[in-house]
Amino acid sequence: MSSFARRLALHPSAIRFISRTNAQQLSVGRRVYLRPLSTTPKLLASDHQHQHGHNDAAASRAKYVNPYKGGPSAIDKAVHLFFFTEIIRGMWIVLEQFFRPPYTIMYPFEKGPLSPRFRGEHALRRYPSGEERCIACKLCEAICPAQAITIESEAREDGSRRTTKYDIDMTKCIYCGFCQEACPVDAIVETQNFEYSTETREELLYNKEKLLANGDRAEAEIAANLHADHVYR
Amino acid sequence: MVSLWRTLRNMRRTGLREWWRQLQYIGDAKSGRFVGRDQFGNRYFENLNAEEEVPGRHRWVDYSQHEYNATQVPAEWHSWLSHIRKDPPTEDAVMQNLSPPWKAPWTENLTGTRGAYRPYNTVAPKILTWEPKSAQREAP
Repeated sequence: MSSFARRLALHPSAIRFISRTNAQQLSVGRRVYLRPLSTTPKLLASDHQHQHGHNDAAASRAKYVNPYKGGPSAIDKAVHLFFFTEIIRGMWIVLEQFFRPPYTIMYPFEKGPLSPRFRGEHALRRYPSGEERCIACKLCEAICPAQAITIESEAREDGSRRTTKYDIDMTKCIYCGFCQEACPVDAIVETQNFEYSTETREELLYNKEKLLANGDRAEAEIAANLHADHVYR
Repeated sequence: MVSLWRTLRNMRRTGLREWWRQLQYIGDAKSGRFVGRDQFGNRYFENLNAEEEVPGRHRWVDYSQHEYNATQVPAEWHSWLSHIRKDPPTEDAVMQNLSPPWKAPWTENLTGTRGAYRPYNTVAPKILTWEPKSAQREAP
């Protein structure tokens, strides 16, 4: 019996739990692979015997196996301990890295990889005809966990409902992406742009014009990302 | 920076003038395929040979302005530079078909300049400030 089973033998309740679950699952027959613990086949064989006899007696009858058999001797370990070989091996790895080319990415000339699902600065999109998508359903405002979105709407002259106010406080936003998931018309999206740092806090209080301008200048990238990802949605 | 051999090799490939320019900006001698140039004159390069460029550093941009800034890269090329799209926008059919005719010109991040965005209210204010009016009192 392995040392793991011997450790379990200290807790007869654990053994009993394992044997009960094994009994349940072996009765099913085909679902043996759904065992609660990953164990060696040897241990499983001994567990199988346990459920017929007395659990504690079976644990005490187990044969002792030296867990250190086949490993390094005490002298070997003492030599490695007193000559600091682990430290020297670690320092050698550091020295190898010193002569290897660095992985440093030279931002802003080179950039790290981004996903088409990356959630950065917000934008309001338009239909290909140029009509703005947002219909002021306020689902994004309702789902926003940081309550960063403020919407007010009015009927336009042609009778369609549009937002008159669509403010996002980018200092409140936690970039969870719930707004773009809640949006039924794909109007509010989070673009791949994360380089919109500002010098003042006021510049991060976006209004509708700013969000529409973000969408107008990055529409090709936004649409291409949605196209790349549409098969997984 | 990486190794003498790599620096000499890339210097020979790009030429002394280009090498000196790279040294002033990116700080490393790089050589690769010229992929394209955007509307601002930024040049984009690529070297997919993993022996020559560490993977992750295989796409880079040479900014046209001396005061370079990551937001000077327009959105289509940003998509290529950030490894989101495989093909550059000059060859990417998806990106070209999805570019609308009303696309606005790209502007860099104008914070700290006079062109910076300033928030304003897009609706009429609901709360008006109090304008005190005092009635003339009659003289006793």
